[in-house]
Amino acid sequence: MTILASSRLANLAGRISAALFGGYALAYGFTAFFSVYLPLPRPDRVVTASLLCFAVWVAAVIYAFAARSALAAWLLIAVLATLLLLGAYLPVEWRTRP
Amino acid sequence: MTLRQSMAGLHTWGGLLPSWLLFVIIFAGTLACFDKELERWMRPALHTPAATAMTATDVGNWVQANVQAPLHAYWLHGPTEREPYWRLGWEEDESGTRGRVAFDLRTGRPMPETVGGEFFFTLHYNLQAGTAGMYIVGLAGMFMLVALVSGIIVHRRIFKDFFTLRPQANGQRAWLDAHNLFGVIGLPFHLILAYTGVAVFVASYMPAGAMVAYGGDPLAFYEEVQGGYHRNELNQPPGQFAPLETLLTDARERWDGAEIGWIIVEHPSDASAVVSVRRFDPSRIGSPQDALSYDAFTGELLHQQQAPAGYRAYIWLVGLHMAQFGGHIVRLLYGLLGLAGCAMLIAGTGVWLRKREGRQIRGIEIVRALNGAVFFGMPIASLALLWANRLLPDTLAERGAAEAWCFSLAWLAVAVFAYLSRRQPLGLSRRLSALLAILALGLPLLNGLTTPEGHLLASLARGDLMLAGIDAVLLLVGSLCAWYSLRSPQTKKPAREDTRPAARQQELAP
Repeated sequence: MTILASSRLANLAGRISAALFGGYALAYGFTAFFSVYLPLPRPDRVVTASLLCFAVWVAAVIYAFAARSALAAWLLIAVLATLLLLGAYLPVEWRTRP
Repeated sequence: MTLRQSMAGLHTWGGLLPSWLLFVIIFAGTLACFDKELERWMRPALHTPAATAMTATDVGNWVQANVQAPLHAYWLHGPTEREPYWRLGWEEDESGTRGRVAFDLRTGRPMPETVGGEFFFTLHYNLQAGTAGMYIVGLAGMFMLVALVSGIIVHRRIFKDFFTLRPQANGQRAWLDAHNLFGVIGLPFHLILAYTGVAVFVASYMPAGAMVAYGGDPLAFYEEVQGGYHRNELNQPPGQFAPLETLLTDARERWDGAEIGWIIVEHPSDASAVVSVRRFDPSRIGSPQDALSYDAFTGELLHQQQAPAGYRAYIWLVGLHMAQFGGHIVRLLYGLLGLAGCAMLIAGTGVWLRKREGRQIRGIEIVRALNGAVFFGMPIASLALLWANRLLPDTLAERGAAEAWCFSLAWLAVAVFAYLSRRQPLGLSRRLSALLAILALGLPLLNGLTTPEGHLLASLARGDLMLAGIDAVLLLVGSLCAWYSLRSPQTKKPAREDTRPAARQQELAP
């Protein structure tokens, strides 16, 4: 009973942290990625990507609670965020083009 | 667990936890739709229209003569239809201290200090708690977005339920109908306002773009994205200022006679001083961020702001949130939909409570105490602020701060009272309604006693509907609260009412 309760609690804590921190990290990665890759001048790239980021965060929160388990939620969110951040930061010269 | 079940949990708890904070933000935002009207109400010198001979130069001279410390910048705004007076603000160079003054057009002197309608605007976006408050409000906005989206997913028959209201049904059903009704009525508005609300401070909330595309230099980002102008200080004494009126005339000509908004004078005690003139266009959703920057001494045009498309999109979204377009009808609709948002929150906590009543859960008392403390505390404190505005003497030093103290202390008193009577929710809401009614109905009377030109009869006779509207709304709200607190008295009187000495001491109304 206690194991069941504590595993439920851990699952809930996992989902909440995935929603708050994982969600923000994903939104951060999304903004960074599209601030680099959108085919627009630099200020417009940044503003467009930034303005869309809250929708990404909301979607991540919904997914964190809809996913089969906390682990599944963390896995997808973390992998996506890492890929987006890598994509954003790898082209060192190109990402600051005007 | 199905999607709908998991979303129900998210909606219940992700909605309940921030609901009191969201109520404060939405209620303050609703009042802030009418901040300029409230400001005029709170400044009796503005109750009747006055012609003015005061010019931008007079205001500039006033700040040079009355503020001793060297200034980083000062900014001024001329009279407009909604704000018929000169406004001035400044920031001192070393301390960063800010000041603001509103001028009485008849005398050319500062009006008695008041926090004004801007108090609610600031409360709305940062809870009067600076940068930390801004981040808290942002997070609350995200909770609101999540609650709205999960609420849509949970809601099985969104169209059919919209036409369903069963006030006579059992408690939980009636509260749920009300929650659905107000939620669905305001849904597009709430989604857009929550989204544009968090978007206002997007550069603070989400600095990723500036970090990655500008090499971690947010200042370079701001400069490029706003297309603004900045001239570094030369550390040399200033020359002879060109009259501000010449610059304003030039700006009007360049903009085909457009209205002038804020006039900003940067480092006026240095040889590098710049005067920037902003355009004011309330016919646009987002007033265009066109600015002309002049050399303060020669009057030479240094720079014409051309904001890139992305920034104009941002300004449009912010404008959608700020409701400075479309005149009074738009603000009225925003106000009504804001109230629908408040009602949705109240009904939402009502559903939560009714579902758990009868079970011995500790949370119930906490939720009841918070309901009383916030849903009544915030409106009562707002009325206390308006009472203080009329009762505090004009000559009082730090008058604005005293008003804010009255707001805070009134709220604190309500919160203590709500906590002490958390076991008698019916008596609590009835007493606080009575207090609300007394404050709301008394205010137009007090207004009549203290302002010869501002009371309902005078403003109606002048056809000054915006000023009369505030008193009329107070009378309406007061009557509704009085009706609520008096109707079918003692039907469900809890057996234990008033047995506790603490509750008796805190009794605020009959």
